[in-house]
Amino acid sequence: MNTDKDSQRSDSKDVIARSNSDEAISKDGISHSAQNNNRKMKLSKLRRFVLLGIIVLFLLQFLRIKVLVGGLTGSLAVWFVKLIDVFAYFESLIASMDFTITALFAVLPIAVIYLVFGRAFCGWVCPMDFLFEVVDKIRGDRQWTMDDRIKRISPKVGYVILFGLLVVSGLISIPFFTNYISHLTNFFRFLTGSVFIALNLPAEPAVLAFSGGMIFLLLGFEYFFPRLWCRVLCPVGKTYGLFNKISLLKLKFTEGECGECNLCENMCYMNVRITPYIDRPSLRDVNCIYCGRCVEGCETKGRLIKMKIGGLK
Amino acid sequence: MKITRRDFLKTSLITGAALTAGSGLAVFERYAFAEKEEFLGPLPDIDVGGIIRPPGALPERQFRSKCISCGVCVNVCHVMKYDAIAVAGVQDIRNFGAPYIKDMRDFPCGLCMECPKHCPTGALKKIEKENVAMGMALIDFGLCFGWNGDVCLSCSKACPLGAHVFDFYSGEWGNQPYINEKCVGCGLCVKYCPLGGSAIKVVTKRQYETFRSSYVSEFRQLLSMAHEERYAVVYGQNLPQIMARGRLVEREYR
Repeated sequence: MNTDKDSQRSDSKDVIARSNSDEAISKDGISHSAQNNNRKMKLSKLRRFVLLGIIVLFLLQFLRIKVLVGGLTGSLAVWFVKLIDVFAYFESLIASMDFTITALFAVLPIAVIYLVFGRAFCGWVCPMDFLFEVVDKIRGDRQWTMDDRIKRISPKVGYVILFGLLVVSGLISIPFFTNYISHLTNFFRFLTGSVFIALNLPAEPAVLAFSGGMIFLLLGFEYFFPRLWCRVLCPVGKTYGLFNKISLLKLKFTEGECGECNLCENMCYMNVRITPYIDRPSLRDVNCIYCGRCVEGCETKGRLIKMKIGGLK
Repeated sequence: MKITRRDFLKTSLITGAALTAGSGLAVFERYAFAEKEEFLGPLPDIDVGGIIRPPGALPERQFRSKCISCGVCVNVCHVMKYDAIAVAGVQDIRNFGAPYIKDMRDFPCGLCMECPKHCPTGALKKIEKENVAMGMALIDFGLCFGWNGDVCLSCSKACPLGAHVFDFYSGEWGNQPYINEKCVGCGLCVKYCPLGGSAIKVVTKRQYETFRSSYVSEFRQLLSMAHEERYAVVYGQNLPQIMARGRLVEREYR
Protein backbone atom coordinates (compact mmCIF):
# COMPACT_ATOMS: atom_id res chain seq x y z
CA MET A 1 0.00 0.00 0.00
CA ASN A 2 2.70 2.43 1.08
CA THR A 3 5.03 1.54 -1.71
CA ASP A 4 2.23 1.95 -4.16
CA LYS A 5 1.55 5.45 -2.92
CA ASP A 6 5.22 6.27 -2.97
CA SER A 7 5.66 5.13 -6.49
CA GLN A 8 2.70 7.19 -7.55
CA ARG A 9 4.05 10.23 -5.81
CA SER A 10 7.40 9.90 -7.49
CA ASP A 11 5.57 9.42 -10.71
CA SER A 12 3.69 12.64 -10.24
CA LYS A 13 6.86 14.54 -9.42
CA ASP A 14 8.28 13.18 -12.59
CA VAL A 15 5.37 14.62 -14.52
CA ILE A 16 5.78 18.02 -12.95
CA ALA A 17 9.45 17.96 -13.75
CA ARG A 18 8.83 17.09 -17.34
CA SER A 19 5.92 19.42 -17.84
CA ASN A 20 7.70 22.67 -18.40
CA SER A 21 6.49 23.26 -21.92
CA ASP A 22 2.78 23.25 -22.72
CA GLU A 23 3.27 20.58 -25.33
CA ALA A 24 4.68 18.18 -22.79
CA ILE A 25 1.80 18.75 -20.43
CA SER A 26 -0.96 17.56 -22.64
CA LYS A 27 0.99 14.71 -24.15
CA ASP A 28 2.14 13.42 -20.82
CA GLY A 29 -1.31 13.84 -19.39
CA ILE A 30 -2.77 11.57 -22.02
CA SER A 31 -0.15 8.86 -22.02
CA HIS A 32 -0.01 8.91 -18.26
CA SER A 33 -3.68 8.18 -17.75
CA ALA A 34 -3.66 5.67 -20.55
CA GLN A 35 -1.03 3.65 -18.73
CA ASN A 36 -2.79 3.66 -15.45
CA ASN A 37 -6.39 3.28 -16.45
CA ASN A 38 -6.27 0.24 -18.62
CA ARG A 39 -8.48 -1.68 -16.24
CA LYS A 40 -11.26 0.90 -16.59
CA MET A 41 -12.21 2.21 -19.95
CA LYS A 42 -11.00 5.71 -20.50
CA LEU A 43 -13.76 8.25 -20.02
CA SER A 44 -13.01 9.97 -23.31
CA LYS A 45 -13.36 6.66 -25.09
CA LEU A 46 -16.47 5.71 -23.17
CA ARG A 47 -18.25 8.93 -24.03
CA ARG A 48 -17.50 8.47 -27.72
CA PHE A 49 -19.09 5.03 -27.47
CA VAL A 50 -22.14 6.58 -25.79
CA LEU A 51 -22.42 9.14 -28.60
CA LEU A 52 -21.97 6.48 -31.25
CA GLY A 53 -24.58 4.32 -29.57
CA ILE A 54 -27.13 7.11 -29.49
CA ILE A 55 -26.49 8.09 -33.12
CA VAL A 56 -26.83 4.44 -34.15
CA LEU A 57 -30.12 4.19 -32.25
CA PHE A 58 -31.32 7.24 -34.16
CA LEU A 59 -30.10 5.76 -37.45
CA LEU A 60 -32.12 2.61 -36.80
CA GLN A 61 -35.28 4.63 -37.46
CA PHE A 62 -34.39 4.70 -41.15
CA LEU A 63 -34.54 0.89 -41.10
CA ARG A 64 -37.98 1.26 -39.50
CA ILE A 65 -36.82 0.06 -36.10
CA LYS A 66 -38.67 1.95 -33.42
CA VAL A 67 -36.06 2.50 -30.74
CA LEU A 68 -35.41 6.21 -30.98
CA VAL A 69 -37.43 8.12 -33.54
CA GLY A 70 -36.90 11.79 -34.30
CA GLY A 71 -33.90 13.88 -33.37
CA LEU A 72 -32.18 15.27 -30.33
CA THR A 73 -34.52 18.28 -30.08
CA GLY A 74 -37.53 16.05 -29.85
CA SER A 75 -37.83 12.32 -30.08
CA LEU A 76 -39.86 9.28 -29.33
CA ALA A 77 -38.24 6.52 -27.31
CA VAL A 78 -39.38 2.93 -27.85
CA TRP A 79 -42.57 4.16 -29.53
CA PHE A 80 -43.93 5.26 -26.18
CA VAL A 81 -42.00 7.95 -24.31
CA LYS A 82 -42.02 11.39 -25.90
CA LEU A 83 -38.93 13.45 -25.23
CA ILE A 84 -38.27 17.11 -25.88
CA ASP A 85 -35.20 19.23 -25.35
CA VAL A 86 -35.53 21.64 -22.42
CA PHE A 87 -34.63 24.81 -24.32
CA ALA A 88 -36.84 23.80 -27.24
CA TYR A 89 -39.67 23.29 -24.77
CA PHE A 90 -39.29 26.79 -23.36
CA GLU A 91 -39.05 28.30 -26.83
CA SER A 92 -42.14 26.48 -27.98
CA LEU A 93 -43.95 27.47 -24.79
CA ILE A 94 -43.09 31.15 -25.15
CA ALA A 95 -43.73 31.26 -28.89
CA SER A 96 -47.19 29.71 -28.55
CA MET A 97 -48.06 31.20 -25.13
CA ASP A 98 -50.06 28.05 -24.62
CA PHE A 99 -49.36 25.41 -22.04
CA THR A 100 -50.01 21.81 -23.03
CA ILE A 101 -49.74 18.77 -20.84
CA THR A 102 -48.27 16.76 -23.76
CA ALA A 103 -45.20 18.93 -23.97
CA LEU A 104 -44.81 19.00 -20.20
CA PHE A 105 -44.84 15.21 -20.00
CA ALA A 106 -42.30 15.17 -22.83
CA VAL A 107 -39.90 17.52 -21.08
CA LEU A 108 -40.12 15.88 -17.65
CA PRO A 109 -38.09 12.73 -18.47
CA ILE A 110 -35.36 14.90 -20.00
CA ALA A 111 -35.37 17.20 -16.98
CA VAL A 112 -35.03 14.21 -14.67
CA ILE A 113 -32.17 12.76 -16.72
CA TYR A 114 -30.24 15.99 -16.59
CA LEU A 115 -31.04 16.66 -12.95
CA VAL A 116 -28.98 13.54 -12.42
CA PHE A 117 -26.29 14.10 -15.04
CA GLY A 118 -26.08 17.89 -15.20
CA ARG A 119 -24.61 19.24 -18.41
CA ALA A 120 -23.35 15.81 -19.45
CA PHE A 121 -25.53 16.21 -22.56
CA CYS A 122 -22.88 18.41 -24.17
CA GLY A 123 -19.98 16.08 -23.56
CA TRP A 124 -21.68 12.75 -24.03
CA VAL A 125 -24.65 13.10 -26.35
CA CYS A 126 -24.23 16.20 -28.53
CA PRO A 127 -22.86 15.18 -31.95
CA MET A 128 -21.31 18.62 -32.42
CA ASP A 129 -18.86 17.91 -29.60
CA PHE A 130 -17.37 15.14 -31.69
CA LEU A 131 -17.41 17.16 -34.92
CA PHE A 132 -15.76 20.06 -33.13
CA GLU A 133 -13.10 17.71 -31.84
CA VAL A 134 -12.39 16.65 -35.41
CA VAL A 135 -12.08 20.31 -36.41
CA ASP A 136 -9.75 20.87 -33.48
CA LYS A 137 -7.61 17.99 -34.67
CA ILE A 138 -7.45 19.44 -38.18
CA ARG A 139 -6.50 22.84 -36.84
CA GLY A 140 -3.87 21.11 -34.77
CA ASP A 141 -1.36 23.72 -33.71
CA ARG A 142 -3.42 25.71 -31.26
CA GLN A 143 -5.39 22.74 -30.16
CA TRP A 144 -6.37 23.61 -26.63
CA THR A 145 -4.73 26.99 -26.38
CA MET A 146 -7.44 29.46 -27.03
CA ASP A 147 -7.01 33.03 -28.03
CA ASP A 148 -6.92 35.11 -24.89
CA ARG A 149 -9.50 37.52 -26.18
CA ILE A 150 -11.94 34.68 -26.87
CA LYS A 151 -11.09 33.14 -23.55
CA ARG A 152 -12.02 36.32 -21.79
CA ILE A 153 -15.58 36.37 -23.15
CA SER A 154 -17.65 35.49 -20.15
CA PRO A 155 -20.05 32.54 -20.41
CA LYS A 156 -22.62 34.84 -18.81
CA VAL A 157 -23.01 36.51 -22.22
CA GLY A 158 -24.69 33.25 -23.22
CA TYR A 159 -27.56 33.85 -20.81
CA VAL A 160 -28.20 37.24 -22.39
CA ILE A 161 -28.30 35.52 -25.80
CA LEU A 162 -30.56 32.78 -24.43
CA PHE A 163 -32.95 35.37 -23.07
CA GLY A 164 -32.80 37.32 -26.33
CA LEU A 165 -33.66 34.21 -28.34
CA LEU A 166 -36.64 33.52 -26.10
CA VAL A 167 -37.86 37.10 -26.61
CA VAL A 168 -37.42 36.81 -30.39
CA SER A 169 -39.36 33.54 -30.37
CA GLY A 170 -42.15 35.21 -28.43
CA LEU A 171 -42.25 38.17 -30.81
CA ILE A 172 -42.39 36.24 -34.08
CA SER A 173 -44.25 33.32 -32.46
CA ILE A 174 -41.96 30.77 -34.07
CA PRO A 175 -39.46 28.81 -31.95
CA PHE A 176 -36.68 30.78 -33.62
CA PHE A 177 -33.46 29.11 -32.51
CA THR A 178 -34.74 25.56 -32.60
CA ASN A 179 -36.26 25.94 -36.05
CA TYR A 180 -33.56 27.81 -37.90
CA ILE A 181 -30.21 27.82 -36.13
CA SER A 182 -30.05 24.89 -33.73
CA HIS A 183 -27.18 22.51 -34.47
CA LEU A 184 -29.24 19.61 -33.15
CA THR A 185 -32.23 20.25 -35.39
CA ASN A 186 -30.05 20.89 -38.39
CA PHE A 187 -27.89 17.85 -37.78
CA PHE A 188 -30.87 15.52 -37.69
CA ARG A 189 -32.68 17.37 -40.47
CA PHE A 190 -29.59 16.89 -42.60
CA LEU A 191 -29.42 13.21 -41.68
CA THR A 192 -33.10 12.59 -42.42
CA GLY A 193 -33.01 14.66 -45.58
CA SER A 194 -29.99 12.91 -47.03
CA VAL A 195 -31.38 9.46 -46.28
CA PHE A 196 -34.77 10.37 -47.77
CA ILE A 197 -33.24 11.81 -50.91
CA ALA A 198 -30.99 8.79 -51.29
CA LEU A 199 -34.06 6.52 -50.99
CA ASN A 200 -35.99 8.78 -53.40
CA LEU A 201 -38.62 9.63 -50.79
CA PRO A 202 -40.22 13.09 -50.62
CA ALA A 203 -37.79 15.57 -49.11
CA GLU A 204 -36.80 19.14 -49.88
CA PRO A 205 -33.27 19.49 -51.25
CA ALA A 206 -33.42 23.11 -50.04
CA VAL A 207 -33.78 21.95 -46.43
CA LEU A 208 -30.85 19.62 -46.89
CA ALA A 209 -28.72 22.43 -48.28
CA PHE A 210 -29.73 24.83 -45.51
CA SER A 211 -29.08 22.36 -42.71
CA GLY A 212 -25.82 21.14 -44.17
CA GLY A 213 -24.72 24.73 -44.67
CA MET A 214 -25.60 25.61 -41.09
CA ILE A 215 -23.57 22.70 -39.72
CA PHE A 216 -20.69 23.62 -42.02
CA LEU A 217 -20.89 27.23 -40.84
CA LEU A 218 -20.64 26.11 -37.24
CA LEU A 219 -17.65 23.94 -38.04
CA GLY A 220 -15.97 26.89 -39.73
CA PHE A 221 -16.80 29.02 -36.71
CA GLU A 222 -15.18 26.39 -34.52
CA TYR A 223 -12.05 26.49 -36.66
CA PHE A 224 -11.47 30.17 -35.95
CA PHE A 225 -13.07 30.52 -32.51
CA PRO A 226 -12.38 27.29 -30.66
CA ARG A 227 -15.30 26.23 -28.48
CA LEU A 228 -16.79 29.70 -28.43
CA TRP A 229 -20.09 28.15 -29.50
CA CYS A 230 -20.15 25.62 -26.67
CA ARG A 231 -18.75 27.88 -23.99
CA VAL A 232 -20.69 31.05 -24.65
CA LEU A 233 -23.26 31.00 -27.43
CA CYS A 234 -25.21 27.74 -27.51
CA PRO A 235 -28.46 28.25 -25.55
CA VAL A 236 -29.15 24.51 -25.37
CA GLY A 237 -25.91 23.97 -23.48
CA LYS A 238 -26.57 27.01 -21.33
CA THR A 239 -29.92 25.58 -20.28
CA TYR A 240 -28.33 22.30 -19.30
CA GLY A 241 -25.60 24.34 -17.58
CA LEU A 242 -28.22 25.55 -15.12
CA PHE A 243 -28.89 21.92 -14.23
CA ASN A 244 -25.22 21.68 -13.23
CA LYS A 245 -25.95 23.79 -10.16
CA ILE A 246 -28.18 21.14 -8.61
CA SER A 247 -27.31 17.95 -10.47
CA LEU A 248 -26.42 14.75 -8.67
CA LEU A 249 -23.39 14.22 -10.89
CA LYS A 250 -20.53 16.48 -9.94
CA LEU A 251 -16.77 16.68 -9.85
CA LYS A 252 -15.45 15.95 -6.38
CA PHE A 253 -12.03 16.62 -4.99
CA THR A 254 -10.11 14.67 -2.44
CA GLU A 255 -8.31 16.97 -0.05
CA GLY A 256 -4.61 17.41 0.18
CA GLU A 257 -3.22 15.71 -2.85
CA CYS A 258 -3.03 18.50 -5.38
CA GLY A 259 0.41 19.10 -6.77
CA GLU A 260 -0.79 22.33 -8.38
CA CYS A 261 0.45 21.28 -11.76
CA ASN A 262 -2.57 22.80 -13.59
CA LEU A 263 -2.83 19.74 -15.81
CA CYS A 264 -6.57 19.60 -15.29
CA GLU A 265 -7.11 23.18 -16.43
CA ASN A 266 -4.89 22.68 -19.42
CA MET A 267 -6.88 19.66 -20.46
CA CYS A 268 -10.23 21.39 -20.09
CA TYR A 269 -11.42 22.68 -23.44
CA MET A 270 -14.45 24.35 -21.90
CA ASN A 271 -12.07 26.68 -20.08
CA VAL A 272 -13.45 25.91 -16.62
CA ARG A 273 -11.26 27.27 -13.83
CA ILE A 274 -10.83 24.05 -11.90
CA THR A 275 -8.08 24.92 -9.44
CA PRO A 276 -10.10 27.41 -7.36
CA TYR A 277 -12.60 24.62 -6.61
CA ILE A 278 -10.04 22.18 -5.32
CA ASP A 279 -10.35 23.25 -1.71
CA ARG A 280 -14.11 23.14 -1.95
CA PRO A 281 -16.09 19.89 -1.83
CA SER A 282 -17.31 19.91 -5.42
CA LEU A 283 -17.28 21.75 -8.72
CA ARG A 284 -20.50 23.32 -9.92
CA ASP A 285 -19.51 25.35 -12.92
CA VAL A 286 -22.12 25.96 -15.64
CA ASN A 287 -19.56 25.19 -18.30
CA CYS A 288 -18.49 21.77 -17.03
CA ILE A 289 -19.65 19.13 -19.49
CA TYR A 290 -18.31 16.11 -17.57
CA CYS A 291 -16.08 15.04 -20.43
CA GLY A 292 -13.61 13.65 -17.90
CA ARG A 293 -10.52 15.14 -19.47
CA CYS A 294 -9.49 16.73 -16.17
CA VAL A 295 -9.89 13.39 -14.42
CA GLU A 296 -7.71 11.75 -17.03
CA GLY A 297 -5.25 14.60 -17.13
CA CYS A 298 -4.76 14.83 -13.38
CA GLU A 299 -1.32 13.76 -12.33
CA THR A 300 -2.78 11.78 -9.44
CA LYS A 301 -4.40 9.50 -12.03
CA GLY A 302 -7.86 10.63 -11.11
CA ARG A 303 -7.57 10.10 -7.40
CA LEU A 304 -7.85 13.82 -6.75
CA ILE A 305 -10.64 14.64 -9.16
CA LYS A 306 -13.52 12.23 -9.45
CA MET A 307 -16.92 12.23 -11.03
CA LYS A 308 -19.47 11.34 -8.41
CA ILE A 309 -23.18 10.79 -8.52
CA GLY A 310 -25.02 12.00 -5.44
CA GLY A 311 -23.57 11.73 -1.98
CA LEU A 312 -21.74 8.50 -2.80
CA LYS A 313 -18.08 8.55 -1.93
CA MET B 1 7.25 7.48 -45.67
CA LYS B 2 5.65 7.74 -42.30
CA ILE B 3 1.97 8.49 -42.16
CA THR B 4 1.18 10.66 -39.16
CA ARG B 5 -2.17 10.73 -37.52
CA ARG B 6 -2.86 14.20 -38.86
CA ASP B 7 -2.06 13.11 -42.39
CA PHE B 8 -4.36 10.18 -41.98
CA LEU B 9 -7.13 12.39 -40.64
CA LYS B 10 -6.68 14.87 -43.47
CA THR B 11 -6.69 12.18 -46.13
CA SER B 12 -9.72 10.47 -44.69
CA LEU B 13 -11.52 13.82 -44.42
CA ILE B 14 -10.77 14.70 -48.03
CA THR B 15 -11.85 11.25 -49.16
CA GLY B 16 -15.01 11.59 -47.12
CA ALA B 17 -15.74 15.01 -48.61
CA ALA B 18 -15.12 13.70 -52.12
CA LEU B 19 -17.42 10.74 -51.53
CA THR B 20 -20.13 13.01 -50.14
CA ALA B 21 -19.83 15.37 -53.08
CA GLY B 22 -19.92 12.44 -55.50
CA SER B 23 -23.01 10.91 -53.97
CA GLY B 24 -24.56 14.37 -53.80
CA LEU B 25 -24.00 14.80 -57.53
CA ALA B 26 -25.50 11.39 -58.20
CA VAL B 27 -28.57 12.32 -56.16
CA PHE B 28 -28.84 15.65 -57.98
CA GLU B 29 -28.69 13.89 -61.31
CA ARG B 30 -31.36 11.51 -60.23
CA TYR B 31 -33.57 14.41 -59.23
CA ALA B 32 -32.88 16.60 -62.22
CA PHE B 33 -33.57 13.90 -64.78
CA ALA B 34 -36.19 11.96 -62.87
CA GLU B 35 -39.14 10.80 -64.93
CA LYS B 36 -42.14 12.91 -64.15
CA GLU B 37 -45.70 12.65 -65.39
CA GLU B 38 -45.60 15.32 -68.04
CA PHE B 39 -49.25 16.38 -67.82
CA LEU B 40 -50.72 19.43 -66.26
CA GLY B 41 -52.31 18.42 -62.97
CA PRO B 42 -56.06 18.40 -62.38
CA LEU B 43 -57.81 21.75 -61.80
CA PRO B 44 -54.78 23.76 -62.93
CA ASP B 45 -56.35 27.15 -62.19
CA ILE B 46 -57.03 26.34 -58.55
CA ASP B 47 -54.15 26.94 -56.15
CA VAL B 48 -53.48 24.56 -53.25
CA GLY B 49 -53.64 27.59 -50.98
CA GLY B 50 -50.68 27.14 -48.68
CA ILE B 51 -49.36 23.82 -47.52
CA ILE B 52 -51.14 20.68 -46.38
CA ARG B 53 -50.33 19.88 -42.77
CA PRO B 54 -50.13 16.40 -41.25
CA PRO B 55 -53.37 15.16 -39.67
CA GLY B 56 -54.42 16.64 -36.36
CA ALA B 57 -52.53 19.89 -36.85
CA LEU B 58 -53.66 22.85 -34.78
CA PRO B 59 -54.83 26.00 -36.61
CA GLU B 60 -52.01 27.30 -38.78
CA ARG B 61 -50.67 30.08 -36.51
CA GLN B 62 -50.83 27.99 -33.36
CA PHE B 63 -49.25 25.05 -35.15
CA ARG B 64 -46.35 27.14 -36.36
CA SER B 65 -45.66 28.57 -32.93
CA LYS B 66 -45.54 25.13 -31.36
CA CYS B 67 -43.65 23.09 -33.93
CA ILE B 68 -39.92 22.84 -33.16
CA SER B 69 -39.00 20.95 -36.34
CA CYS B 70 -37.77 17.95 -34.40
CA GLY B 71 -38.69 15.51 -37.16
CA VAL B 72 -40.66 13.02 -35.05
CA CYS B 73 -43.67 13.13 -37.38
CA VAL B 74 -41.45 12.78 -40.48
CA ASN B 75 -39.73 9.73 -39.09
CA VAL B 76 -42.85 8.22 -37.55
CA CYS B 77 -44.39 8.44 -41.01
CA HIS B 78 -41.31 6.72 -42.43
CA VAL B 79 -41.49 3.97 -39.83
CA MET B 80 -45.18 3.47 -40.65
CA LYS B 81 -44.11 3.07 -44.32
CA TYR B 82 -46.17 5.98 -45.67
CA ASP B 83 -43.32 8.47 -46.07
CA ALA B 84 -45.86 11.22 -46.67
CA ILE B 85 -44.44 13.97 -44.49
CA ALA B 86 -41.58 16.16 -45.63
CA VAL B 87 -40.13 19.31 -44.13
CA ALA B 88 -40.91 22.62 -45.85
CA GLY B 89 -38.02 24.36 -47.56
CA VAL B 90 -36.64 27.87 -47.69
CA GLN B 91 -39.03 29.17 -50.35
CA ASP B 92 -41.52 29.71 -47.54
CA ILE B 93 -39.30 31.10 -44.81
CA ARG B 94 -42.01 31.30 -42.18
CA ASN B 95 -42.88 27.65 -42.60
CA PHE B 96 -39.29 26.56 -42.94
CA GLY B 97 -38.67 23.37 -41.05
CA ALA B 98 -42.33 22.63 -40.41
CA PRO B 99 -43.82 19.36 -41.70
CA TYR B 100 -46.20 19.12 -44.64
CA ILE B 101 -47.49 16.52 -47.06
CA LYS B 102 -45.32 17.05 -50.09
CA ASP B 103 -46.24 14.65 -52.82
CA MET B 104 -49.76 13.22 -52.68
CA ARG B 105 -49.51 11.60 -56.09
CA ASP B 106 -46.92 9.14 -54.79
CA PHE B 107 -46.91 9.49 -51.01
CA PRO B 108 -50.34 10.32 -49.58
CA CYS B 109 -51.18 10.27 -45.90
CA GLY B 110 -52.55 6.91 -44.81
CA LEU B 111 -54.49 8.34 -41.84
CA CYS B 112 -52.80 5.86 -39.50
CA MET B 113 -52.98 8.65 -36.90
CA GLU B 114 -49.59 7.79 -35.43
CA CYS B 115 -47.96 11.20 -35.89
CA PRO B 116 -50.47 13.18 -33.80
CA LYS B 117 -50.22 10.49 -31.17
CA HIS B 118 -46.46 10.90 -30.94
CA CYS B 119 -45.87 14.63 -31.51
CA PRO B 120 -43.92 15.73 -28.43
CA THR B 121 -44.83 19.42 -28.63
CA GLY B 122 -48.58 19.11 -28.94
CA ALA B 123 -48.56 20.88 -32.33
CA LEU B 124 -50.35 17.83 -33.69
CA LYS B 125 -53.31 16.90 -31.55
CA LYS B 126 -54.66 13.42 -31.18
CA ILE B 127 -58.09 13.29 -32.82
CA GLU B 128 -60.40 10.87 -34.55
CA LYS B 129 -59.82 10.07 -38.23
CA GLU B 130 -63.16 11.58 -39.21
CA ASN B 131 -62.35 14.94 -37.63
CA VAL B 132 -59.06 15.46 -39.42
CA ALA B 133 -58.99 18.62 -41.55
CA MET B 134 -55.86 18.43 -43.66
CA GLY B 135 -57.58 19.62 -46.78
CA MET B 136 -60.33 18.91 -49.25
CA ALA B 137 -60.07 16.61 -52.25
CA LEU B 138 -61.66 17.96 -55.45
CA ILE B 139 -62.47 15.90 -58.51
CA ASP B 140 -61.72 17.50 -61.86
CA PHE B 141 -65.00 16.66 -63.63
CA GLY B 142 -63.34 17.21 -66.98
CA LEU B 143 -60.77 14.49 -66.38
CA CYS B 144 -62.53 11.94 -64.19
CA PHE B 145 -63.43 8.64 -65.91
CA GLY B 146 -66.56 8.34 -63.79
CA TRP B 147 -67.87 11.66 -65.07
CA ASN B 148 -67.10 10.87 -68.68
CA GLY B 149 -68.91 7.68 -69.52
CA ASP B 150 -66.92 5.11 -67.55
CA VAL B 151 -67.42 3.24 -64.32
CA CYS B 152 -64.31 3.71 -62.24
CA LEU B 153 -64.38 3.33 -58.47
CA SER B 154 -60.67 3.66 -57.78
CA CYS B 155 -60.90 6.79 -55.63
CA SER B 156 -63.77 5.55 -53.48
CA LYS B 157 -62.06 2.21 -52.96
CA ALA B 158 -58.86 3.93 -51.88
CA CYS B 159 -60.65 6.28 -49.47
CA PRO B 160 -60.14 5.32 -45.81
CA LEU B 161 -63.50 6.87 -44.96
CA GLY B 162 -65.40 5.33 -47.87
CA ALA B 163 -69.14 5.95 -47.96
CA HIS B 164 -68.79 8.61 -45.29
CA VAL B 165 -67.20 10.85 -47.89
CA PHE B 166 -68.20 9.60 -51.34
CA ASP B 167 -71.53 10.30 -52.99
CA PHE B 168 -72.41 8.70 -56.32
CA TYR B 169 -74.74 10.22 -58.87
CA SER B 170 -74.83 7.24 -61.22
CA GLY B 171 -76.36 7.84 -64.60
CA GLU B 172 -75.82 7.27 -68.26
CA TRP B 173 -72.63 9.35 -68.14
CA GLY B 174 -70.89 7.08 -65.66
CA ASN B 175 -71.02 6.48 -61.92
CA GLN B 176 -70.20 10.18 -61.31
CA PRO B 177 -68.42 10.22 -57.95
CA TYR B 178 -68.55 13.33 -55.80
CA ILE B 179 -66.47 13.97 -52.70
CA ASN B 180 -68.54 15.76 -50.08
CA GLU B 181 -67.32 18.19 -47.45
CA LYS B 182 -66.62 15.52 -44.87
CA CYS B 183 -63.44 14.79 -46.81
CA VAL B 184 -60.34 15.07 -44.58
CA GLY B 185 -57.82 15.55 -47.39
CA CYS B 186 -55.54 12.58 -46.87
CA GLY B 187 -54.87 12.25 -50.61
CA LEU B 188 -55.16 8.46 -50.97
CA CYS B 189 -57.62 8.99 -53.84
CA VAL B 190 -55.05 11.21 -55.58
CA LYS B 191 -52.56 8.38 -55.55
CA TYR B 192 -54.92 5.65 -56.74
CA CYS B 193 -56.55 7.60 -59.57
CA PRO B 194 -55.57 5.60 -62.68
CA LEU B 195 -55.51 8.67 -64.95
CA GLY B 196 -52.12 9.97 -65.94
CA GLY B 197 -51.38 12.88 -63.60
CA SER B 198 -54.46 12.08 -61.46
CA ALA B 199 -57.89 13.68 -61.74
CA ILE B 200 -58.11 14.70 -58.08
CA LYS B 201 -56.46 17.61 -56.35
CA VAL B 202 -56.28 18.31 -52.63
CA VAL B 203 -56.48 21.93 -51.54
CA THR B 204 -56.53 23.40 -48.03
CA LYS B 205 -59.89 23.82 -46.34
CA ARG B 206 -59.45 27.59 -46.27
CA GLN B 207 -58.76 27.71 -50.00
CA TYR B 208 -61.82 25.55 -50.64
CA GLU B 209 -64.04 28.07 -48.86
CA THR B 210 -63.03 30.75 -51.35
CA PHE B 211 -64.28 28.95 -54.44
CA ARG B 212 -66.76 26.54 -52.96
CA SER B 213 -69.78 28.17 -54.59
CA SER B 214 -68.34 28.05 -58.10
CA TYR B 215 -67.22 24.44 -57.68
CA VAL B 216 -70.60 23.30 -56.35
CA SER B 217 -72.47 25.17 -59.08
CA GLU B 218 -70.28 23.54 -61.74
CA PHE B 219 -71.18 20.17 -60.23
CA ARG B 220 -74.93 20.95 -60.18
CA GLN B 221 -74.82 22.30 -63.70
CA LEU B 222 -73.20 19.10 -64.98
CA LEU B 223 -75.87 16.97 -63.32
CA SER B 224 -78.75 19.00 -64.72
CA MET B 225 -77.30 19.31 -68.22
CA ALA B 226 -79.36 18.20 -71.19
CA HIS B 227 -78.21 15.11 -73.08
CA GLU B 228 -76.98 16.91 -76.21
CA GLU B 229 -75.09 19.50 -74.21
CA ARG B 230 -73.43 16.89 -72.07
CA TYR B 231 -72.55 14.89 -75.18
CA ALA B 232 -70.79 17.90 -76.60
CA VAL B 233 -68.87 18.48 -73.35
CA VAL B 234 -67.82 14.85 -72.95
CA TYR B 235 -66.93 14.05 -76.54
CA GLY B 236 -65.85 17.53 -77.56
CA GLN B 237 -63.71 18.65 -74.64
CA ASN B 238 -63.11 15.99 -72.02
CA LEU B 239 -62.39 12.78 -73.87
CA PRO B 240 -59.60 14.23 -76.03
CA GLN B 241 -57.90 15.48 -72.84
CA ILE B 242 -58.32 12.11 -71.16
CA MET B 243 -57.08 10.23 -74.20
CA ALA B 244 -54.02 12.47 -74.31
CA ARG B 245 -53.17 11.61 -70.72
CA GLY B 246 -53.86 7.95 -71.16
CA ARG B 247 -55.01 5.44 -68.66
CA LEU B 248 -51.81 4.51 -66.93
CA VAL B 249 -52.83 1.04 -65.87
CA GLU B 250 -49.20 0.07 -65.79
CA ARG B 251 -48.31 2.93 -63.46
CA GLU B 252 -45.94 1.70 -60.85
CA TYR B 253 -47.29 2.40 -57.40
CA ARG B 254 -44.52 3.21 -54.97
